[in-house]
Amino acid sequence: MTEGQHRSRGEPGRRPGRGPGPGGQARPGRGADELGALLTRVARGDQDAYAAVYDRTAGQVLGLVRTVVRDPAQSEEVMQEVLLDVWRSASRFDAELGSAAAWVMTLAHRRAVDRVRSEQKAAEREMRVASSGVAYDEVAEAVEARLDRERVRRCLGSLTELQRESVTLAYYGGYTYREVARLLGVAVGTVKTRMRDGLIRLRDCLGVDL
Amino acid sequence: MRLGGSDPHTLAGAYAMDAVPEPDRSRFERHLAGCDSCRQEVRGLREATAALAAATEVRPPAGLRDAVLRTAGQTRQLPPAAAPVPAAWAAARDQRRPWWRPRPVVAVAVALACVLAVVAVAAGVATYGMQGRLDQTQGRDHAVAAVLSASDAKMMSAPVTTGGTATVVMSHHERALVFTAADLHVLPAGESYELWLIGPAGTRPAGMIDASSRARMVGPMVVSGLAAGDSVGMTVEPDGGSPRPTSPPVLLINLR
Repeated sequence: MTEGQHRSRGEPGRRPGRGPGPGGQARPGRGADELGALLTRVARGDQDAYAAVYDRTAGQVLGLVRTVVRDPAQSEEVMQEVLLDVWRSASRFDAELGSAAAWVMTLAHRRAVDRVRSEQKAAEREMRVASSGVAYDEVAEAVEARLDRERVRRCLGSLTELQRESVTLAYYGGYTYREVARLLGVAVGTVKTRMRDGLIRLRDCLGVDL
Repeated sequence: MRLGGSDPHTLAGAYAMDAVPEPDRSRFERHLAGCDSCRQEVRGLREATAALAAATEVRPPAGLRDAVLRTAGQTRQLPPAAAPVPAAWAAARDQRRPWWRPRPVVAVAVALACVLAVVAVAAGVATYGMQGRLDQTQGRDHAVAAVLSASDAKMMSAPVTTGGTATVVMSHHERALVFTAADLHVLPAGESYELWLIGPAGTRPAGMIDASSRARMVGPMVVSGLAAGDSVGMTVEPDGGSPRPTSPPVLLINLR
């Protein structure tokens, strides 16, 4: 478990201690050194560092969880679980495997998805999927209300319709690829391909740091 | 879906978005474990999903901050993962077990072999090909071993109404079960067996069974997400599975 600052693929010219600027977390990788370094300190039990991690990530975690879970009270619960996960498992973060932001958001998305796929929620969703009562529009509408980042909006807009629908339903809607196939009325294999192609295009459009 | 039948790489996008449920997810993770370029790709795609997440940012209620910080201060942290590398991502899914640990120690393999043999015998399967079967299970042995070696592991067997026998080993502690079946009726093209967890928590799809081959035994498959009061059921569904059962169960085992 190497420390965050030993990133072999660090962004040139970016050093720990150089702030991301207010609200600068929109870009994955931006401020990654800093968030990663904070996580390293959190792993050692540093509560000040944890407070800083909270301030940088809580808004995004809650935004994502709300988009997937919808119910505000449940979303806050899940958000707290995610942030506690971050505290508990900070030692498992490894900068070699991705940015700190991606690590936190992966925790958040998994928790959110677990929530909607458990309980009767799952049954309800299955019913709706089975009857195709859920349209892409419903998820898209909920997303649209929250998508306030121009760049992400523009990049999503650069996908083909099917790619965009597949990515939106899977990531923001929390549906499995089979459910997405049913919702969109296309073959499972097609959906898998569109999800991958869509994310690749998104990755390239966003210029994600690797 | 059968990973074996299609290019597993295509699942990378769905996987990066947590859109791959079990058992496909475990299969894909086994594939990832041996595929550097795939891990690299998933990593890049995850960075893209992080941007999707960032775009949803809201202002969290002020009261939550203190509550979370206070609770964290009273919560014990996990030690660094024992495994060197990709275990870091494991925290994202399983707080207790890195999902990418190197092959388990010999003792686990031996224990697994013993219990698998018991399962196989119980299912009325001859021990032929056991070694080959064990080799196949190398990838999922960790998850299987966790269930089989759980202190509350319990084995149950039941006939499948259309032919064959199913055997499960379940552990409520691990919230998972290991499913095997022998001599299942071979289904016509276009149909597959699908497993379900059925209980107070709802009816949840628990994975597709590939019974198209001539192998007498299917599995072991790990089904996670076991909840109190669940039964495991099996139905015949169109290929690719259904979100809800569309035919009467050919197998129902109460897991209490």
